Amino acid sequence: MASRWADDDVDKAEDLRRKKEKEEKKRLKFQRQQAEQAAAAREREMESRPAKRRRFSDNAASQEVIPKEPPAERTLLCFEGGGWGPCRHVSNFETLNNIEEGSYGWVSRAREISTGSVVALKKIKMDYQRQDGFPITALREITILQRARHKNIVSLHEVLSGSDPSEVVLVMEFLEHDLKTLQEDMPEPFLASEIKTLLKQLTSALSFLHSNHILHRDLKTSNILLSNHGHLKIADFGMARYIPPPNARLTQLVVTLWYRAPELLLGTDQYSTEIDMWSLGCIFGELLLKEPILQGKNEVDELSRIFALCGLPTDRNWPGFWRLPNAKGLKIPRDSGAKSGGVIRTKFPFLTNVGADLLMSLLSPNPEHRPTADEVLDHMYFREQPKPKPMEMFPTFPSKAGQEKRRTRSPNAPKRGQAPGMQNVDFSGIFANREEEQAGAGFQLRVA
Amino acid sequence: MQPSPLANPLATVAQLETSSSQLDGVPQDLENSIRFAGAQITQAAGILLRLPQEVIAQAVIVFVRFWIGSEGGSLAEFGCEQVSAASLYLTTKLSAYPKSPRNIINVYAYISTLTSLHPPTDPPGPDTYYVSEGTYQTRRATLFATEQRILQTLGFNVHVSLPYTLCITYLQALDVFSHPRAPELAKRAVAYLNTALLSPQLLYLTHQPSSIATAAIYLAAKETGIKMPDVEWWEVFDTGREELGFLVVGLLSVESFAEEERAKWEGRTVPISVEELEAEMRRRDGGE
Repeated sequence: MASRWADDDVDKAEDLRRKKEKEEKKRLKFQRQQAEQAAAAREREMESRPAKRRRFSDNAASQEVIPKEPPAERTLLCFEGGGWGPCRHVSNFETLNNIEEGSYGWVSRAREISTGSVVALKKIKMDYQRQDGFPITALREITILQRARHKNIVSLHEVLSGSDPSEVVLVMEFLEHDLKTLQEDMPEPFLASEIKTLLKQLTSALSFLHSNHILHRDLKTSNILLSNHGHLKIADFGMARYIPPPNARLTQLVVTLWYRAPELLLGTDQYSTEIDMWSLGCIFGELLLKEPILQGKNEVDELSRIFALCGLPTDRNWPGFWRLPNAKGLKIPRDSGAKSGGVIRTKFPFLTNVGADLLMSLLSPNPEHRPTADEVLDHMYFREQPKPKPMEMFPTFPSKAGQEKRRTRSPNAPKRGQAPGMQNVDFSGIFANREEEQAGAGFQLRVA
Repeated sequence: MQPSPLANPLATVAQLETSSSQLDGVPQDLENSIRFAGAQITQAAGILLRLPQEVIAQAVIVFVRFWIGSEGGSLAEFGCEQVSAASLYLTTKLSAYPKSPRNIINVYAYISTLTSLHPPTDPPGPDTYYVSEGTYQTRRATLFATEQRILQTLGFNVHVSLPYTLCITYLQALDVFSHPRAPELAKRAVAYLNTALLSPQLLYLTHQPSSIATAAIYLAAKETGIKMPDVEWWEVFDTGREELGFLVVGLLSVESFAEEERAKWEGRTVPISVEELEAEMRRRDGGE
């Protein structure tokens, strides 16, 4: 029997090919040398006879000498748009356990029967009065997720339909944690370096969304998923929409209360990416403190907490404030001086100055003062020590999403309908007792 | 991978070979006629609803996508008028110009009283297209049910990339607008883009918007006699010579197809509901 390594026809052919290649190379080299020599000879000739007319004919001659390259095969860009087919039936998946129920629908962990891969299923609630056919929010969520493919945005695999025509289920990748539940179970908040990794991923997703004209409109820790490898992804685009043309009226009933920007609370109907940046600031603070920083009981309480934390709006730092629809009913002490400033610096004592600067800019009550997602990514905070922790070094945590049903609830995103107004609310009490507080705070450095 | 925002999902060969309607015994020429009529009705309804052409074009493409393939919708189950209405409703909902079910239903009631769209005839009178409350309720239920079926049949792939803005960009890239007769050229090119919507070869389902825009410019330049660069400029816009040739032939053939259709249905209406289709099939069976 011939050995595997013995020469056979294939090897011979290969040898022949190599030999040919070598010869070809040699030939090319020789040609080049010849061409060079010819060129050098011509140059010498030209130097000896510096007639301009000669040079032209010379050029023409040299073009004839060099063999013309055959026209290169041009490859054209080919766009891949995919195809389409009808929705598969939900029976292709078996549910493993329920994860969560929210205003938008039910989320469960499931396994695809044919492949065994584990996914998250989101069944859309179709319960509202069927005045407009298929719910526009669900339609927007699906179309936006189909277009928004980014490493920090949860990916939508497909949409399933059930036996009942109104049953619609989204198949998405499964991630082990959401930030809210994870933080609740952690004894200590994330380390500064870990917070930077999380915040950076979150901001890059936001930058992608905003540059693709998408507003998320419901950023909060329970909508942010985290894999066991430290990979963060934004989920739940039920409130998301494309940025409409300027001056279009938008609903103010967006974003869960604790993450809602003050201009939304004050009833603006023209807003843009700044409202997502405010939510980002709230999440940043929440990561630092391990609990939501602005837990208002209702719209008025939320607004008062915002002003208490970030300072009162003045004519100087927010000139447009009094033109907002709900601002007229508010009684805000004007010119209350230094005592009305924010307390962000004192509330986050362990944050570096650069970090505090970023947090304060994100939590500017005036939307115009908030940085864009790209500006945040460029911020010194991500470059100073400690550096963002590499994702491979991220700690792992036991996954709760598989084991038990969630019990605690944070407020849901607002329902569609009439927005509550704000009439005659007195905010003058917020800072009423601040002097006493400070006096009673115990240890204080006194500068004489 | 992020799909290119310029690309559309395309129909597969299998989807183009068989349609659900053919499996249900609808002759192919009849299917082509009905699809052509449905696209025209969608266009007319969009104009009556004062929608921008981009939204109308999207609705037409969604409408055409619905009928393709053995797993698509069948004319034996869905009337083409009802699918046209639902496509338009669905597309406007996702656009910046949402229309209420009431608006859509009224417009389609009006169109159904016209005997011909080209040229549009005067409707017999307002009482013929009045929609009573009861009729409205049933039609709205049908509209919503059809909308749901379109979404499921297309697997929610309702996004459509259009060649209109691309076409303008390409014309700018070709530096055409310095030419005195450039507006004429641009108008012809856009007209060809609209023509492609009605093509029996389903050009929007078989070719990417960039190629359709290139072919439209090529034809418009030929027609207006404006000189294009003396090289294979279409390759700059990602269109090969062969594809360009196919598209040019396809676009030019729409006119004769439309004339054939008009002659064929002279004095009759194309069956746009399931009942009308059944009657037409019975008539054909009896005639043969």
